[in-house]
Amino acid sequence: MTLPDPYASLRDLFQAEGFPAMEPEILQPSRLFLDLIGEDIRGRMYLTSDRAGEELCLRPDYTIPVCRAHLDGGAPETPARYSYCGKVFRQRQDGAGEFMQAGVECLGRADLEAADADTLALSLSALDTLGVTDPRIHIGDEALFRAVLGGLNLPAVWERRLGDLFGERDRLDAAIRAMRSGGAAERDDTSSAATLARALEGLAPDTAQSAVAELLRLTGLKPIAGRSASDIAERLLEQAALARHDPETDRAADVLTRYLAIAGDPRASVKTIEVFAKDVGLDLTQALASFSGRLDAIAAHGISDASLTFAADFGRRLDYYTGFVFEIHSASRETAGQIVGGGRYDRLLALLGATAHIPATGFSIWLDRI
Amino acid sequence: MTALTIAIPSKGRLQDNTHDFFARAGLPVRQPGGARNYRGRLGRFEASQVEIAFLSASEIARELANGQAHLGVTGLDLVHETIADPETSVHTVTPLGFGFADVVVAVPDAWIDVSTMADLADVAAHFRARKGERLRVATKYVTLTRRFFAEHGISDYRIVESAGATEGAPAAGTAELIVDITTTGSTLVANNLKILDDGVILKSQANLVASLSADWSTEQLGFARIILDRIAAEERARGFREIRALVAAPELTARAAGEQFGAIAPFGTQVGQPLLLHCPAASAADCATLLRDHGAPHVSVTTLDYVFGTSNPLYDPLAEKVGS
Repeated sequence: MTLPDPYASLRDLFQAEGFPAMEPEILQPSRLFLDLIGEDIRGRMYLTSDRAGEELCLRPDYTIPVCRAHLDGGAPETPARYSYCGKVFRQRQDGAGEFMQAGVECLGRADLEAADADTLALSLSALDTLGVTDPRIHIGDEALFRAVLGGLNLPAVWERRLGDLFGERDRLDAAIRAMRSGGAAERDDTSSAATLARALEGLAPDTAQSAVAELLRLTGLKPIAGRSASDIAERLLEQAALARHDPETDRAADVLTRYLAIAGDPRASVKTIEVFAKDVGLDLTQALASFSGRLDAIAAHGISDASLTFAADFGRRLDYYTGFVFEIHSASRETAGQIVGGGRYDRLLALLGATAHIPATGFSIWLDRI
Repeated sequence: MTALTIAIPSKGRLQDNTHDFFARAGLPVRQPGGARNYRGRLGRFEASQVEIAFLSASEIARELANGQAHLGVTGLDLVHETIADPETSVHTVTPLGFGFADVVVAVPDAWIDVSTMADLADVAAHFRARKGERLRVATKYVTLTRRFFAEHGISDYRIVESAGATEGAPAAGTAELIVDITTTGSTLVANNLKILDDGVILKSQANLVASLSADWSTEQLGFARIILDRIAAEERARGFREIRALVAAPELTARAAGEQFGAIAPFGTQVGQPLLLHCPAASAADCATLLRDHGAPHVSVTTLDYVFGTSNPLYDPLAEKVGS
C-alpha cells in the first residue's frame, strides 16, 4: 500500500507552470556547501565520508545541488526551470533533522523584473495549494543598496567591506560607526600593523610593495602560505585608507544610515528614496526603475501592494544573492518564522564554475512550518 | 550492581600525572597485568565497586558525554571540542593543575599586517575577494574554531582537518593558518608562526569531569562521594599549613591571623593551650611572624596530609546536579 502524497497538488502546480521536478542526489560533496555558504553551515550538516576519504553530506538545501546538476547537464546557457519537493537534512536545536522543502529555480531568464515577479507569484500560488491564506510578504533589494554604496565614491576597501555586510544589520551598523571620525577607537591603533599602515600611507602601490618585500627580507621572514609581499602591501595601504577619517567618510556614514532606515509600503518607499537620492545627490535612476518595474510586474499578477512590506536593510548574508529578495510569513503563525524564502542569485552559477553570466531566481518553502 | 566507572588517560605524561593525582589522595590506580590491560582498580575498592577504564583523552570526553563513564580525567579543550553541549552533559568537578595548554590561532609570522582577529577577518575577506577561494585553517579543533571565528565575525574561511603535525600545514601549503594547542609556543616559533594578540581560544588544563548523562545509582554516588571526599581533603590540606604556637591571648591572635591571612582555628582557642591554626600555605611564614609578634616564643609550621570538613566542596555540587 502506498500512502497518498500530501504534496501532490503542489507538484502538479509546479509541473503545470513549467517547472519539471528534479531530484538531485541526497549525498553531496560537503565542500560544495562549505565553499558557498561558509563554515557556519558545517555544524548543521550531517557529515560522512566515502572510501576515498572525500567528505560527503546529506543535502542541507536544494538550490545548490539543483544548480550544480544544471551545469553538469551540459547546456548551462540554455534557460531552464526546475522544481523540487523532498527532504533536506540539517541538525537543529529543536525539530527533526530531516524535513521537507519544496521550491523552484528559474535559470537564464533575461527579463529580470518579470522573472522576479513570476517567482514571487508562483510561491503565493504554492502557498495557496497548501492552505496558507494569510501571507505577509517582506521584500528587499540588494541592487538598490549597491547603487547607493557605489555612488558614494568611497575607497574600494570600504565599498567591499560594507557590501559584504549587507543583510547583517548589526555588523553593518558597526562598520558604519567605524567610518565616522573617532570611530577608529574600536581598533587598537598602536598595534604594529596599524603603525606600519600609517608609515606606508600615500605610497604608490608598487613602492609600498617593494618596501614590504624589503622589510620581510631584512627581518628574515619568508612569505609563505598564500600571501605574497604584494598582498600584504596592498592590505596595509587599504588599512591606511580605512583609518583615514574626513568629512567625506562622515557624510557617507550619514547617507547610508539614512538609506537603511527606509522601510514600509513599497510604492511610498520609492518616493522616499527618490527624495533621499535628490537630497544627497545620488543618481539611483536605473536601480529605482528596476525596482518600480518589478512592483508593476508583481501588481500585474493581482498581488496587492498592501500585502508587501519593503525594508532597505533586508538582504541575505550569502554573497550569491544579488538583487530582489523576499520572505513570506503566515500572519497567524508569525512565530514559526519564514515559510518561504526566495530571491535573485545571479552570482551562484558563476561561483559554481559557469563561464557565462546566468541570471537565476527561485524560492524554497519550509513545508514543516506550515 | 554495576561499578562506578572512572575513565583515565592510558598514555603519556597525562597518565603519569593522573596516577600521581589519585595516589596523593590515597587512592593508587592499579593496573593488574600492566599497561596492556584496559581495565584497572582504584585504591582498596573492589572491581565490582569502582572500575578504572584506560582510554585516550578524546575518547574519555566522548564516553562522559555518552554516559559510558561516570567520572573521567580529560582536558578542557577536548571537553569543549568533543561534546556538543558541555553545560548540560558534563560537570567539571575540579581542575587538576596539570596538562596546561592553550588552544590558539596562529598565522605565518611574515604576515606583518596581521596581529589581531579583526585583522584576520579583514584578510579573510580580502583573500576571498582577490583569489576567489577561502582562507584555509588547518586544525583538529573544528568545533572550537568554528565557534571562535563566528564570535569574531569571520565567515570567509575553510577548515582543513588535520590529525597531526598541524603546525607544518602553512609551510606545506595545505593551509594558510592554524588553530592548535601549544604549551610553550616553541613549536609555533620553529614553524614561523605567531599567535594573534587576541587569538587564545581556550586556556586548557586537565580536569576531573563528571558525566551528567550517566546513570547514577545510590551506590555509585556513594563511591563517588568517598573518592571526592578524599580528593577534596587532600586538596584542602595541600593549600594549607598547620601552625602551632603558645600565645598569651589565643582568641585575639586567632582573630588577627584570620583577618590578615585567612587563617582559621579549627579546634577553637583555649588559654594555656597551644593555638593551632590552618593558614593558607602562601601566607604561612607571615602568619608565623605575626604569632611571634604576639609573644609566641616558638612557632612550628607543618604540612597537612588531609583535612576533612563537614561539607564536601567537590561532591555537593555534583550530587545536586545528578541527584534529581
